[in-house]
Amino acid sequence: MKTLIIGLGNPYLTDDGIGVKVANAIEKELKPGTHKELTIEEASVGGLRLMEAMIGFDRVILIDALITHNENKPGTIKRMTLDDLNSISPTQHSACAHDTTLVTALEMGRRLGLDLPSEIIIYAIEVSNVMDFSEHSTPAVTMAIPHVVSSVIREIQSQKV
Amino acid sequence: MTRITIDPITRLEGHGRIEIFLNEEGNVDNAYLQIPELRGFEQFSVGRPAEEMPRITNRICGVCPEAHHMASTKALDALYHVEPTSAAKKVREMFYSAFYVTDHTVHFYALGAPDFVVGPDAPAAERNILGVIHKVGVDIGKQVIACRQRNHHVIKMVGGRGIHPVAGLPGGWSKAISEEERAEIEEIARQNVDFGLFSLKVFDDIVLANKGYVDLILSDAFTNKTYYMGTVDENNHINFYDGKIRVVDPQGKEFVKYPASDYANHIAERVESWSYLKFPYLKGVGWKGFQDGMDSGIYCATPLSRLNAADGMATPKAQEAYEKFYETLGSEKLNGRYEPVHYRLATHWARLIELLYAAERMLELVTDPEITDPNVRQVVETVPDEGIGSVEAPRGTLTHHYWTDEKGILTKVNLVVGTTNNNAPIALSIKKAAQGLIKKGTVVTDGLLNRIEMAFRNYDPCMSCATHSLPGQMPLEVVIHDMEGKVIERLSQYVD
Repeated sequence: MKTLIIGLGNPYLTDDGIGVKVANAIEKELKPGTHKELTIEEASVGGLRLMEAMIGFDRVILIDALITHNENKPGTIKRMTLDDLNSISPTQHSACAHDTTLVTALEMGRRLGLDLPSEIIIYAIEVSNVMDFSEHSTPAVTMAIPHVVSSVIREIQSQKV
Repeated sequence: MTRITIDPITRLEGHGRIEIFLNEEGNVDNAYLQIPELRGFEQFSVGRPAEEMPRITNRICGVCPEAHHMASTKALDALYHVEPTSAAKKVREMFYSAFYVTDHTVHFYALGAPDFVVGPDAPAAERNILGVIHKVGVDIGKQVIACRQRNHHVIKMVGGRGIHPVAGLPGGWSKAISEEERAEIEEIARQNVDFGLFSLKVFDDIVLANKGYVDLILSDAFTNKTYYMGTVDENNHINFYDGKIRVVDPQGKEFVKYPASDYANHIAERVESWSYLKFPYLKGVGWKGFQDGMDSGIYCATPLSRLNAADGMATPKAQEAYEKFYETLGSEKLNGRYEPVHYRLATHWARLIELLYAAERMLELVTDPEITDPNVRQVVETVPDEGIGSVEAPRGTLTHHYWTDEKGILTKVNLVVGTTNNNAPIALSIKKAAQGLIKKGTVVTDGLLNRIEMAFRNYDPCMSCATHSLPGQMPLEVVIHDMEGKVIERLSQYVD
């Protein structure tokens, strides 16, 4: 199963780039050459460009920051599907204000007959600071990294990649 | 005072909010775009090696990383006093042209076109690229995606990385182009030229053939007479990669032309107590408040501005389109050049003319015998001190200014990003549109609010240089307060 992991966000914007940090940690955790069908990427794009990055993969795992403005504490991890993304709340980077949301972009891609993944899973991490430039995420968010890493690795190892 | 808030703005990068203030009669008194600012970029940068900046600044923004990468790389050329080789300059500009093709494509089809194709009064949920495909057909969507894919392929091949390029170095570019790559890029550039012509035809068929839309473009509500800025070559033709900054006045006369390194002598920044944004203006004219006209130093830097600031396009097909643009919009020639077009919605058309130019320019460069010259890097041998680099980003003139110690460690950083140039004209445009559309007794409807959004959407304001990215289609809420601040009406879209 051709799988793509994308860590989203700006790694220089405190918690914003938490997805990138998780993607890098997953790459370190996995032994080189053991997962031939796995690709790990990092990017701070959304909408069309994110959809385009998924072309040719069977399954995509997105890792992104999320601000729900509700009771969720920073560091809370949520595993979402595309339906959740549509109905609950878009994550920080899934949509691009310069074109469209990921959901719309994927619907467009499908209508155009592009080879898009049948399964898209989103790991969203509740964050607190996306306004200050810093390479370091806040402590509560940083502590979530190993948990997301092990969840994603369990997820990819449940099916051969 | 009654206050209308459009919050947050659909399809705009960053935490934007439009606030419209009504007077006692219920007419628009003032209107502003409010955006919270990211903090601490300068502190973040100071103490780092300057040569990291092309790779750091291209992370500021997921929308135009290529523009930041290029402005930053050019600032390093100046910082290290090194002139890139001729081949390096051509490779850079060719790469940059491919980026322009993708960026202008997505803006038109995903943001500009929905208002015209699906219609400004259509429900907000339908005004997106899916709505365009639904109306015009699947084939148009296929063309858009194909165009983006082939140019992203070029960006990756030439820039060293798919999304956040890494190839820019002081004095050149890290990688030369092989003949095999050149041939592939040439084919892509040819397809881009066809796509540019196709897109102008789409604009003709959908917008210009519809009298209602032409009237909308020509309407006073979407007109502001400001100064215009753009980068021009030695013939005063548009160039995105390099040249001098030229400013023309609202009547079309050259006001000033200067090397980008001289920006601080010509541009000052106004700060207002109610906004984090800076409002740049022309020092030579002065700040006269939020008003347009000859006496106000407010200038604009957009595709429309670049066309207005130049005398023409450097490539033949784009030049043809340029002439048609001015003739159609009723501009007369004054001292051999067209008078500026002040209709802000014409920016969408101008963007497509630039798309065609970028495609033609890319083809010119990729068929230049020097493009495969392996000599793409000049060795750096001097002690760095201070450097300024500038390009035309799709959303306006982009300037990076770095100061370092003798080891090349940053001591100070200043960025004037594309959209910042347009902060004041955006405020003018919102106010004008709101004044034309909200009058005493007018019911605030979704379509009407969208027209106010259209007033700034043509600028494609990108706040992610100043803020980070947020979902494109956001819940849109409009809250109208009475004079005591009590909520009297609440309108929304995308809100459960």
